[in-house]
Amino acid sequence: MSFWGQTFEITRVDLRVERRLGDTLRIVLPFAVVALMVFPLSLGIELAVISRIGPAVFWALGILFGMQVALRQSVADTQERRDLHALLGVDPAARFVGRMMSGSVLMLAFLVVLFIAMVLLYGPILPSGSWSTVLIATVLFSLGLAELGTLAGEVTAGLRNRIALASLIVAPLALPLVIGASQSLEALSRGAGILPWILLMLATDLALAVVGVGLARPLEEATR
Amino acid sequence: MTRIRVLFGVAAAAMAVGLWFALTAPPDSLQGEYSRIINVHVPSLWLAFLAFGVTALGSILWLWKKTQRWDRLASASAEVGVLFTGIGLFSGMVWGNAVWGRAWDWGDPRLSTTAVMFFVYLGYIALRNAVDDPVVKARRSAILGVVAVVQVPLVYFSVNLFRTLHQTQSIRPDGSTMPSEMLFAMLVNVVAFTILYVALMAARIDVARAEETTRKTELLAGDAVKPPKLSEVKDV
Amino acid sequence: MDPLVHLEDAGVSLGGKPVLRHVDFELQPGQVVGIAGPNGSGKTTLIRVLTTLLRIGEGAGSVLGADINSDQVFGVRSSIGMIGHTPALIGELTLLENLVHIARLGGVAEERVDSVLEVVGLDEASDRRADASSFGMRRRIEVAHLLLSKPRLVLLDEATSGLDDSARELINALRDRTVMDGGGVVMVSHDQKQLAETCEEVMVLTSGRVESVQ
Repeated sequence: MSFWGQTFEITRVDLRVERRLGDTLRIVLPFAVVALMVFPLSLGIELAVISRIGPAVFWALGILFGMQVALRQSVADTQERRDLHALLGVDPAARFVGRMMSGSVLMLAFLVVLFIAMVLLYGPILPSGSWSTVLIATVLFSLGLAELGTLAGEVTAGLRNRIALASLIVAPLALPLVIGASQSLEALSRGAGILPWILLMLATDLALAVVGVGLARPLEEATR
Repeated sequence: MTRIRVLFGVAAAAMAVGLWFALTAPPDSLQGEYSRIINVHVPSLWLAFLAFGVTALGSILWLWKKTQRWDRLASASAEVGVLFTGIGLFSGMVWGNAVWGRAWDWGDPRLSTTAVMFFVYLGYIALRNAVDDPVVKARRSAILGVVAVVQVPLVYFSVNLFRTLHQTQSIRPDGSTMPSEMLFAMLVNVVAFTILYVALMAARIDVARAEETTRKTELLAGDAVKPPKLSEVKDV
Repeated sequence: MDPLVHLEDAGVSLGGKPVLRHVDFELQPGQVVGIAGPNGSGKTTLIRVLTTLLRIGEGAGSVLGADINSDQVFGVRSSIGMIGHTPALIGELTLLENLVHIARLGGVAEERVDSVLEVVGLDEASDRRADASSFGMRRRIEVAHLLLSKPRLVLLDEATSGLDDSARELINALRDRTVMDGGGVVMVSHDQKQLAETCEEVMVLTSGRVESVQ
């Protein structure tokens, strides 16, 4: 089977498993929406402040809960299943790209719903043209976070404290993504150009993709 | 062992000379005695970058050669690096709080990048502690070492870009206005700290080597299982 | 003829401790070799070396012509089949979906899946989820996998323990077919007598060393 054939097969099965489990939509998303409600309730009802901090809270929660989304598939990746894929002759790079794609799709779905919830709860003032910027930023953010999540998920595979450990690894490295995504929206509302921020995120996504594909073999062997 | 004793001896002497210069150089007219903190702050951060650079190099060489000595180099350097990053950040915050009334400067991309590095390599050490098998440990941490070295420049770049949008000026004074005696004292301390780094590395690598030897002499899994005493089952 | 597997003075350490030491091993095409030994003697570790999934720290070796400590192994892995202690299936998928997934990744024609399911006797249970299936059913899916992919090297690590007679015979049939096709089979068991009945050669491991070859 070709490289892309293997890649899409892995993505397809990952997404089917996630659909049957439903953890992202049934557990992580409601939890994130509850967290959205904490900020206004702890600030007091100051509508101006709430609408001002809305996008910032969205990106902060996006990374915190997005990490759980990014890491949850690799939890299901047991040693036996890794061995099975290896002995089927799956290209380690196809494994990485497939994982990354399914992770991005899940993350994107999660972030879109969370963004809508934020708009409804916080009523942020969004300048015209925001929706396309938000969408581009969210797609690039999802890709990068899924890449980091896959990398961190692999290096912490099978460890007792893996979720906490992987979160510690992902959070500081995700800083360029958080800055890029949040500042593109910020730049738009100030009337500045968004291109540098989009390029920053694009560069981060590409760098991580190159690292992931380049290290695919050691990654595949990470548990052995 | 004597090699390491000599190294630490040289490091202690160099640190003493550095301390003498740090305390005798005339202080900055604006910052007063607080300016002496720079003799700890700058050498610590120099070591942090040197140490994490060595970790990245060790990681790449392990992935290439797969020999454990590169893992020992990378991990020892990460540990020493985290220690000095912590000292560098803390001394910087003490200085900032005293001189410009705020411990943290959001306009300085170096500061934010250093803080990010601190947490990334804390994660690196936590990962190493969580893995038991030396080869698995080496492989996983080498991967993380490479991911980190690719990502850290992007962190620096992103914080720098952030500053341009928000037009925040770094409140830190430019290093070039430093009096030459102070600059000299600082350079002496940079050299002294670097010798200390070499000594700490040599000691840490020795410990890692000793740990590996100890493991090898332990019992095999099967040797630890003794045949059951069947005749005594009824008496237990 | 070149051997399928050749190990010379192989040593493996896990967790920094030696688990296998000075192991010589050879498997010729058409041969069935058994590995016996008490718990913790290194049998499963040796099997993992033969899958090429575990590198050796000392010595040298080749599996299906690939140097086992080089990246050549990536090219031969799809010709190696293993049945290990725990069936490796995706619990959230049905048995049929698991087999289709395996067929697609392995580059096998999907049309053969149905007939193979029939051969292993699971054609009517195929829409059960793997995590809701019994151990024996999941084992049969693994046999179906190897019947589909026809590996040249089949490694059976305690594959028949916990199975009923019909499933056991199924695994024996898989073994016989592999031998007939010119492949090789390595069987691991702690039951040395049972191995002696079916294998041309039985190697006994104790404490990570080869104690005897019969």
